[in-house]
Amino acid sequence: MTPELLVDVILAVGLVALSLRVVSGGELFRDIVVFIVFGLVVALSWARLGSPDLALAEAAIGAGVTGALMLMAYRRLASRSGGASGDRSRRLRLAAPVAVLAGTAVAIIGLAALGIDGASDSGGAAALAALPATGLGNPVTGVLLMFRGLDTLLELVVLLVVLLGAWAMMIPGPPPALHLVSRDTPLVAALLTIAAPLCVLVAVHLLVVGADEPGGAFQAGAVLAAGGVLLVLTGVLRPSREAGPVIRLAVLVGPAAFVVVGVSAMAFGRPVMELPGLWAVYLIETAMMISIAVTLSLLFGRSGGFRRGGP
Amino acid sequence: MSSLAVYVVAAAAVFGVGVYGLIVADHVLRKLLALNMMGSAVFVLMVAVSGSAQGRPDPVAQALVLTGIVIAVAATAFALALLVRIHHDTGRVTLSERGDDDD
Repeated sequence: MTPELLVDVILAVGLVALSLRVVSGGELFRDIVVFIVFGLVVALSWARLGSPDLALAEAAIGAGVTGALMLMAYRRLASRSGGASGDRSRRLRLAAPVAVLAGTAVAIIGLAALGIDGASDSGGAAALAALPATGLGNPVTGVLLMFRGLDTLLELVVLLVVLLGAWAMMIPGPPPALHLVSRDTPLVAALLTIAAPLCVLVAVHLLVVGADEPGGAFQAGAVLAAGGVLLVLTGVLRPSREAGPVIRLAVLVGPAAFVVVGVSAMAFGRPVMELPGLWAVYLIETAMMISIAVTLSLLFGRSGGFRRGGP
Repeated sequence: MSSLAVYVVAAAAVFGVGVYGLIVADHVLRKLLALNMMGSAVFVLMVAVSGSAQGRPDPVAQALVLTGIVIAVAATAFALALLVRIHHDTGRVTLSERGDDDD
């Protein structure tokens, strides 16, 4: 067994062991934390599979944002345990066979697909061939922005619809304060002074290098959202019920910039969603980053908007 | 056994564990954890399989999975918003077809 394969086997065993731990039914809080660790191991697996873009996205979005949302919901639900429902015994009897069947089916499909020789004219090969003409170096960014722009636009629309849905489901009355510590606590102010600008710096870095290296608007938006979560938890931003004009603008700027640039291509005789150049990629990605960061922060705070908190 | 096959088998196992967790969990938060793990398993499987032909993952598959990750977190956020509202209105954190939970 080569050292590389050994690393893969260790990661794979880790994935399965952590997933078993999550469903084993201990304390819910601990299971959520183990789920976050599971997400980080998935990120490592993607780094090993040769996809650093996905590794970054999984670490920031899959493990980070999902974990923060889960922990916040756990806090809101006051750690109630689920009561056992009546048909539980029947479900328990069926669970293991159904799970084994499902896992076996997925294994058969996956191993069969591994044996298939890829078609030479696949979409990925076409994207790699057409990439140099776009001026981009990162094929994933190329696919997301240049070749499959409509998918990415609709993805932003899904985020917007989710935010509208969450707003519709908001609990009546003023949103509860979410901060855990005040800024007077020793070291918190110092932490904020370092961490908040660092989030902005890392996000902008991911955005800028995303054209040629691993990174991009989604990873950058998630890192920025992590900064937003930090500001909410320390009470610098307080949730408010109504979204102010700045928040509304920030939520809409991503899809709006994409639509305006994509549709205005028609005025110059090009197909819809064909971006005119690299400047358009940077413009749209910046707008996307802002929208994604604000949307995720609002979903975390379960609030319509934010106002500046007192010291 | 190649390293891609290792990840395919692990993804299938995690998917099965996720199905089990989804069925046995009572708390909706647990069901969401299991559902997210099933999603991650499918994403890992897709990326591993797409890389079998040319030695590195297909960029279209990577973009698809990146989209999938963001949609998954969005769907989870909406599900959590529904759960918090259900808990606020009924005091329950479980799903019951009969509507009369025994807690």
